[in-house]
Amino acid sequence: MKLTLSPRLSPAQYSAALKAFEAVVGKQWVMASDADRDSYSDIYAPGSEEEWPAAAAVAPASVEEVQACVRIANQYKTPLWPVSRGKNLGYGANAPRMPGSIVLDLGRMNKIHHVDPVLGYCVIEPGVSFFDLYEHIQREKLPLWMSVPGNAWGSVIGNALDHGIGYTPYGQHARNICGVEAVLPDGDLLRTGMGAMNGNHAWHLFPMSFGPSWDQMFTQSNLGIVTKVGMWLMPAPETSLELSMPIAKEEDIGWVVDTLAPLKISGLIDQSIFVPSWLGKIVLKGQRRDFWDKPNAIPEWRVQELLKQYKLGYWTASVRLYGNEDVNKAKAEVIKKAFAKHTPTPFTETWWHPGDPLNSVDPTLGVPSAVALQMGDWVGGRGAHMGFSPVVPPTSSHVLGQLKRSRDRMAEFDFDFYASFTIGGRFANNINMLLYDRDNDQQVKNVRLLFNALVKDAKDAGYGEYRTHLGWMDQVAGTFDFNNHAQRRLNEKIKDALDPNGILAPGKQGVWPAAFRDQANKEFRS
Amino acid sequence: MALPLYQMRAQPPAGDRLTPGRDGAALFTNRCGYCHLTGGMGTNLLTKQRVALGEPPAMGLLANRTDLNADYVKSVVRMGKNAMPRQTKVDVTDAELDSIAGYLGKVK
Repeated sequence: MKLTLSPRLSPAQYSAALKAFEAVVGKQWVMASDADRDSYSDIYAPGSEEEWPAAAAVAPASVEEVQACVRIANQYKTPLWPVSRGKNLGYGANAPRMPGSIVLDLGRMNKIHHVDPVLGYCVIEPGVSFFDLYEHIQREKLPLWMSVPGNAWGSVIGNALDHGIGYTPYGQHARNICGVEAVLPDGDLLRTGMGAMNGNHAWHLFPMSFGPSWDQMFTQSNLGIVTKVGMWLMPAPETSLELSMPIAKEEDIGWVVDTLAPLKISGLIDQSIFVPSWLGKIVLKGQRRDFWDKPNAIPEWRVQELLKQYKLGYWTASVRLYGNEDVNKAKAEVIKKAFAKHTPTPFTETWWHPGDPLNSVDPTLGVPSAVALQMGDWVGGRGAHMGFSPVVPPTSSHVLGQLKRSRDRMAEFDFDFYASFTIGGRFANNINMLLYDRDNDQQVKNVRLLFNALVKDAKDAGYGEYRTHLGWMDQVAGTFDFNNHAQRRLNEKIKDALDPNGILAPGKQGVWPAAFRDQANKEFRS
Repeated sequence: MALPLYQMRAQPPAGDRLTPGRDGAALFTNRCGYCHLTGGMGTNLLTKQRVALGEPPAMGLLANRTDLNADYVKSVVRMGKNAMPRQTKVDVTDAELDSIAGYLGKVK
């Protein structure tokens, strides 16, 4: 990829900055060739990867090196785009929002500082992947379970900071963060919460500060570079029981959500409950052409044939219970009675006891896997996905309304329908996977137009996204419009106060520093 | 608990990541094992492809392939291929990739 410089940066400033970075991290960890830039581009880009080009990447190995890099960025006015491991697939991967930003790759900072099996937490660096932490816990035989996302190739911290979700009782990953160490945009080093006191023993245990609490200020944010985090981990359960059943019809999602959400809110079910549509199951069985050999979206009659042939429901409702066996049995009876009011279908019950094998691709068991990425193969070619992910209240009227809106739009733009609702409490994340072949120009064009329409439809109906791809960060941020975008104005005031040179992740989540505010809504065309 | 190998990779071999000559098999397991050991996503997809070509399923494992050479391995790692994303030098350093390509590239 050709070199793109950030706005108003001269080639001389860029070269001088690279030399200064080399003096800090070593020449080999400053990566600035065309091939290097390719490796820091969005592998799932909906369009040309050159829409979000990095100028270079720098990989520090310590907090001190991060601080030094931030000071250099301020000196030469070279914006940085920090990534933990850069595996944010579907949302931009390791590419920066603003063209010409220098990726600060924290992948070398991969120490597991501490895992506490009694109090259930770990202290880790951004380069630690879900696999790394899982394998450490297994090697040390610690009685702890993780919460993992569908694609667990990435960073534990990066995923939590981007509001990633999992499917255990600890599924809201940003809420597991307790105590953050972050380098601020001026190079200063902060420890939040109890960690603000030297030597405090409760840094990663008490989730608030004496005074304002700042942990969440660093999630989906460009206000600091997180270098260390305390993350809570679930004690390994005595047993686990999964109740699962196929749900026949599309509209049945209404009663399923109305049944499950109160049980989640009451605490009887403690996991984040994942309800995927049929395509989530069938993508693992083959490629699209094995099931429908025409280019248009699979028609409803063929969907019904496939469901019959593969004995699938339109949805799958699965609830996993964790803990004491008697308690799980009692909880299961409550759930079975609640479902029996709507369907005669019995649940399939699958117990897990210590020593039993774990289903290695079941994220509700906290086992990391990247197998979910196989869905990229569904469309063939350079298959890719983006997630359209509005947050809805978990009641049938909201869920069915959002379902119909996105279904109609996806049909209009000729996309296969693949959605899930994850009930995390008083909300559900409705993730719609848009699968496309990057080499199919018409499909790429359609996915962009479709995404624009989906964001607007949701906003008009009173819903917003929890997370989005680089290309839609400005648009989605714009949908949060109360009182003439009061939240954006606050974000900008804070950004400008902390980062006057605007060197940290300009444009992240639609928050632009004064120095680059003229870049908002640029470089991306529908 | 018997998990697939890709969920219980070996730790990387000792030594500096920029120094050539570390063990290719061990580096392959650690750096590529997420996807390319038994049960991994890459193995699952490659198994389908190799079976379609009339080969046995075991050829879905890169370590079993006899038709790879080092330059090809390096190119796919750095440039990506279909569902395989590009790997950065932080994911796999050039020195590590030399060792891995030497291990997988049976065609000398």
